[in-house]
Amino acid sequence: MNRKAFPILGRSEVVTVSSRAGRMARDFGFDARRAMEVAIVVSELASNIVKHGIRGEIVLTLDPDSPPQGEITVEAHDVGPPIRDLKLAMIDGNDDQGPIDPALILRRGGLGTGLGAVARLADRLEYRDEEGGKTITARFYRR
Amino acid sequence: MDQTEVPHVNVASSRLQSVIEALSYASVDEFDSCLALLQLSQEKDEFSELETAFAIFVRELGEAKAELNRALTQQEAANRELEAKLETIEMQQAAIRELSTPIIEVWAGVLCLPVVGVVDSQRSAEMTETLLETIVSKQARMAIVDITGIDVMDTKTADHFIKMARAVRLLGAECIVSGINPGIAQTLTHIGVDLTGVRTLRSLRDALQLYLRETEQLVVQQKTHFARRENEI
Repeated sequence: MNRKAFPILGRSEVVTVSSRAGRMARDFGFDARRAMEVAIVVSELASNIVKHGIRGEIVLTLDPDSPPQGEITVEAHDVGPPIRDLKLAMIDGNDDQGPIDPALILRRGGLGTGLGAVARLADRLEYRDEEGGKTITARFYRR
Repeated sequence: MDQTEVPHVNVASSRLQSVIEALSYASVDEFDSCLALLQLSQEKDEFSELETAFAIFVRELGEAKAELNRALTQQEAANRELEAKLETIEMQQAAIRELSTPIIEVWAGVLCLPVVGVVDSQRSAEMTETLLETIVSKQARMAIVDITGIDVMDTKTADHFIKMARAVRLLGAECIVSGINPGIAQTLTHIGVDLTGVRTLRSLRDALQLYLRETEQLVVQQKTHFARRENEI
């Protein structure tokens, strides 16, 4: 099992860690398309850490033994406010308090579709509130 | 009366003088000159014990100071290195920001935005903002968004790209999306994006050719227009 943690300090880590994740996924046996999906999910989650968290990290785990054929998990852990309403936040154009004013969408840096994208691209999405923070886990099964 | 009870030590004023001088050297960190002065006296009496003790202190002080200076120099070097590294990081961050939305004016009034790498929702929002601002500031008539380098996009992000093209039209410029690959084409039609008013072409080259053809036509039209007016006159 290969496990790596990447601290996310700013926008540059969003870029470097997501491209690293894409490479790792390819080396793990994902095709180019799925590897890019992993990279996009890492990018969305890391962007969210920069935007909403105080500090955080992305932990990538490549587990070849996980049934049935191995999986990649992307854990986004951050020290920051919890997501008040995950179901609401996952709806495109919403944040955790409801619809985002279209006039503010561009100014807040993003479209409000990040978590939705993670849910669409990953095979499984888990959310866990923690003491003074939260962890979002996205799973990709090797096929 | 008291004076007779206290034992006195007789010291030559020259020795006292040299101690005072040594002290003044020590006070300005001239430890070597200070020690040289103190070792001059050869006599063995109570005052010489004081001189020896003084010499030991001065030697230790000198060594401690030298050690401190070395540490300080090392610290300064480390600080400079750290500052240089921080500067590099800042430059790299700026470069990444710039490279994430590289807008090139390929022709007078024609902007090109080649999109490569990972496109997430935040980056596509930034691209929209930068592209629209640049269209206004450069008074561009056309923007070509080339996504040849993109294999996968989330459906909502792809939808946003088409919305960006419409926003460009609202600014009075034309937007061509070029290099859409089969995967993205399927994504777009699958979510039922309204593609009216968005021109799509196979490659960046086709997009540029189209622009040149159209502007050429414009020139021809103007020429014939002027020719006709001249004939009328």
